[in-house]
Amino acid sequence: MAKPATLRQILVVTDGCSNSGISPIAAATLAREQGITVNVIGVIDKNELGEQGEQEIREMAQAGGGMHDIVYPAQLAQTVQMLTRKAMTRTIQHVVNKELKQILGESEMDNLSPEKRMQVAGMVDELGEQSSLEVVMLVDTSASMKNKIAAVQQAIFDFSISLRSRSGKSKMAVCSFPGKEKHLDTLIPWTNQVEKAYQLSSSLTMSGITPTGPAITEAIALFGHIELPEKLANKYQKNSRINEEDGGFMQDHVF
Amino acid sequence: MFSNQKMPEAPLYMEGKWHGKDYSVIKELGRGANGVVYLVFHKGTKVALKVGLDSIDLLMEANVLTQLQSHNEKIGPAIYDVDDVVIEGKTHAYYAMEYVEGERLDRSLKQVGKEWLPLLLIQLLSHLHVIHQHGYVFGDLKPENMIVVKSGKQVCLIDFGGVSKQGHAVRQFTEEYDRALWQAGDRRADPGYDLFSLAVMMVRLCTDKETWNRLPSVRRHVQMLYAIIADNEHVAPYRIPLQKALEGRYQTAIQMKADILHAFHQKSVNVAGSSVASNKEGLGSKLLGGLFVVSMLLLAGSLYYLWM
Ligand SMILES: Nc1ncnc2c1ncn2[C@@H]1O[C@H](COP(=O)(O)OP(=O)(O)OP(=O)(O)O)[C@@H](O)[C@H]1O
Ligand SMILES: [Mg+2]
Repeated sequence: MAKPATLRQILVVTDGCSNSGISPIAAATLAREQGITVNVIGVIDKNELGEQGEQEIREMAQAGGGMHDIVYPAQLAQTVQMLTRKAMTRTIQHVVNKELKQILGESEMDNLSPEKRMQVAGMVDELGEQSSLEVVMLVDTSASMKNKIAAVQQAIFDFSISLRSRSGKSKMAVCSFPGKEKHLDTLIPWTNQVEKAYQLSSSLTMSGITPTGPAITEAIALFGHIELPEKLANKYQKNSRINEEDGGFMQDHVF
Repeated sequence: MFSNQKMPEAPLYMEGKWHGKDYSVIKELGRGANGVVYLVFHKGTKVALKVGLDSIDLLMEANVLTQLQSHNEKIGPAIYDVDDVVIEGKTHAYYAMEYVEGERLDRSLKQVGKEWLPLLLIQLLSHLHVIHQHGYVFGDLKPENMIVVKSGKQVCLIDFGGVSKQGHAVRQFTEEYDRALWQAGDRRADPGYDLFSLAVMMVRLCTDKETWNRLPSVRRHVQMLYAIIADNEHVAPYRIPLQKALEGRYQTAIQMKADILHAFHQKSVNVAGSSVASNKEGLGSKLLGGLFVVSMLLLAGSLYYLWM
């Protein structure tokens, strides 16, 4: 069976509802359309994420073909790793399922006996471990995130350890929204090694604007595999290429 | 934790789709990231049944349990049946396993006393050694994932959801016991990963809540653990093996087990010698307790060598 190509994910970390621009659910649909899975983590302090926020998070993940969870800051690191892995497994399972359908005709995985499926599970797991993985972390840095930013920062650093512990090739990028000028700022361009001393707090904005949808739309552009309309392409791909050339490190973000 | 795919309530009666074994549900035992565990009756005996949220993850667990089953030392619950069940029109994978009756490790220690901890740890190290020899790492080692069996103080691992192939990334972990979050290494599955978690667990189980909660939630460092070890009478005698495990200096669980045994022996000799001055009653029970544990240990040790 062929090794699956690269798995691509956007991971949104937020603490509330979007309130600006295109609907994040539409944006997530768009991402999925282009082969990118959208996972969403809601971080809460006490009980501040209302029904509406919860619903948006759930629907965003559903539309993006991904997973979601709502957690306290202390569980963030563990959750990032778990969501990513589970979403990967799910994507691979879909691929394997399709191939099985081709090989076995009608029958797909659900129609295999549990014993056969245990073997398939082992294979899916192995493929997950070996495949390439690209993740863009999209961090909400609106004013309300202030108390959680230390945990998010730890989770970012920690996630890079998780990626390096995999057998397959992996890279990650970190973006914040709202950006200083655009909807999105690229804080850490594609890399597989985030520096321990990396500081996120300087990206915090005082604004209450949360353009989750536009941010997702722009994050899609960071994945090199996607053909972009001329204008967008000029805006983003040049930047990310330049950054990749210096090995993914960006000196001004490393203190 | 995951609200993604809600697990439907189990019906009172379930029947496997492929093998047709039937179960009547008594109650829910617990739920977590990978599924829900029910206590069920099958042909009049109590069985634990785990229904998965995600079939791949559940089947991986079943895989590992089946492989470890062949070993004559009891490490985890025996597995009886792997099948599918249809609940509210949706198919879920499940496996049925031995119902392990007892207390979670942390709760059990509160009842039997902390002096049991080294003994249980030594058993755990034997379990881990077997898992490592099968080419796996347990991964998510924590008190919540082990049960001290009611009859005869045996510790049994449950929840094999974190079990990972050596060389792969650890599938599942808990912050508190994770080597990477203590800045002591990565998350690539090697025997040292488990030994690290085990050492943190030992320290934590012997530390009062207040002291433990004073640890920062981010940027933890093993030095902080050394400080706790140094002024805690329960763990101080095990300083050397603990420190070695935290620094990743053990290649195998057996090496750590030998050092813990050695430290335990030293300690019981010291206790016997130094407590002469304490009051009579205290001395008597302490000595008896100590001797009992030592004899249990020796028994465990000799049994172990027989098996090898
Ligand atoms: N074989 C068993 N015998 C008795 N109780 C069990 C058994 N297996 C599981 N349990 C109980 O069910 C609970 C949940 O099981 P388990 O830890 O396997 O679920 P999980 O979904 O993997 O949870 P986690 O979030 O910890 O990964 C356990 O904490 C334990 O109390
Ligand atoms: Mg568990």
